[in-house]
Amino acid sequence: MEIQGYTLPDELHYEENHFWVREEGDVMVMGMDDFAQQMAGEIVYVQLPAEGKKLEQGKRFAKMESGKWLGKVYAPVSGELVAANENLETNPELINQDCYGKGWIFKIKPDDKGELNHLIHGPEAIKKWILADIEKYKQEA
Amino acid sequence: MKMEAKYDFERKFREQVLKCSRCGFCQAHCPVFGATLRPAYNARGKMLVLKEVMEGKIELDDELIETLFQCTTCASCYKNCPSGVNVPEIIKQVRKDMVNIGSCHPAFTGMHEVLQKHPNIYGEDTPADFERERNRQAAYVFFIGCVGAYREDESTLATLALLDRLDIDYTLIDEVCCSGVLEDVGFRINPSLAQKNIDLILATGAKTLMTGCPYCARTFTNKPPYDALKEKGIRVLHISQVLKDFDFGVKTDKIVTYHDPCDLGRHCGIFEEPRQTIRKIAPGFIEMPHHHMDALCCGAGGGVRGAYAKNSIAMARRRLQEAEAVGAEVLLTECNSCVHNLSNAKLRKQKIEIYTTTQFINQLLNPQ
Repeated sequence: MEIQGYTLPDELHYEENHFWVREEGDVMVMGMDDFAQQMAGEIVYVQLPAEGKKLEQGKRFAKMESGKWLGKVYAPVSGELVAANENLETNPELINQDCYGKGWIFKIKPDDKGELNHLIHGPEAIKKWILADIEKYKQEA
Repeated sequence: MKMEAKYDFERKFREQVLKCSRCGFCQAHCPVFGATLRPAYNARGKMLVLKEVMEGKIELDDELIETLFQCTTCASCYKNCPSGVNVPEIIKQVRKDMVNIGSCHPAFTGMHEVLQKHPNIYGEDTPADFERERNRQAAYVFFIGCVGAYREDESTLATLALLDRLDIDYTLIDEVCCSGVLEDVGFRINPSLAQKNIDLILATGAKTLMTGCPYCARTFTNKPPYDALKEKGIRVLHISQVLKDFDFGVKTDKIVTYHDPCDLGRHCGIFEEPRQTIRKIAPGFIEMPHHHMDALCCGAGGGVRGAYAKNSIAMARRRLQEAEAVGAEVLLTECNSCVHNLSNAKLRKQKIEIYTTTQFINQLLNPQ
């Protein structure tokens, strides 16, 4: 769906800090959502930890930077990092160009797929969450 | 008839600009040219543009932002210029002239605005917590700097752990940005930030102000808003100048090289103190082809990391290639800004480790 200029596909799950998650067989693909990439501006750096790193849902495990912003990447589910998008090392702007496609960031093998239920999902929930965040960032600005 | 100079850069640096003989020696040293291969971005290109501005052939306006704001002020050109043209000082003045006429890179305008509202360059409202008592009476004040506090906090924690272990009587203060960087990007030091730092430093009774950041050390030493420190007899040192007198009792077998931060090396002449320390802990120390006065800039200075991040990281990649080419397994430096940019530039296939010297020593003392 598109809300006030931000594209947020209905079928994805969202972590509250604006990272999306898509189930692909045994792994979860994650990336930054359109709201976050627009707010951050041109992404210039993404920290890509080594595969095998153990992740805990809700805990920070990587950093990202745009020219004006430093962001933390939180694990949307607990599990093991099994892949990172190395194209982002030299072309981090892929996140701005195609945040749901070529700009994917990590693949995670989850310990428990059931943790997906803790994330934001479904048109109503997504709409409520994004509208609240739009308002929040308007006030901060 | 002699034309009235339109801009301060002309009034202050006219002879300097005209002294550029266009030999192009600077091209071999300019990190921005090295990353972009654009002659207009090199010091010679910049001086040619300014000559045309002085002659009234072109206007100083937004179209020149890309050329004149893209300089790390590393001074590599100046130190290698047969005519002695002090390009960094000229560029800093030109940026002020441009800001005066309303032409400024938005990242630099943003930095200025942030420091009007926030106590650090990143606009962070929550102070970094290093779990140490602040503002107490001590022999030394340790001033962390914005990058160390908000971007390289792990490095700072390691530095503080080392200071603790060495029993150095230091205190942290509720520091705010020294705001020296504003002088590089077209603005001026924020006097209220400077006064806050001065008051906090003096209140501790410390006689030595020790900084983790070379740029903060330069600012406290050379910038008039901080003259009160000198007047009160406060000595300003970079941490590398303090640590050189210690023995750490640990050594590494790894091949270690050292990256001279521009602000510590070319700008302050501090080349040997970090090497004295590193040689004690790393018998396998090796220099890169460009070192001391000829060190390559990491690309982070002069506001370039914020305004031209991609080129800035490209400059850091060149430096990393040089470190790898000499077989270094560890790259040490004395500046968190350099660590930050070099670490950002490091590709996953590159195995070289990047630390501040203090961070590395602390790691040797506390093996995992």
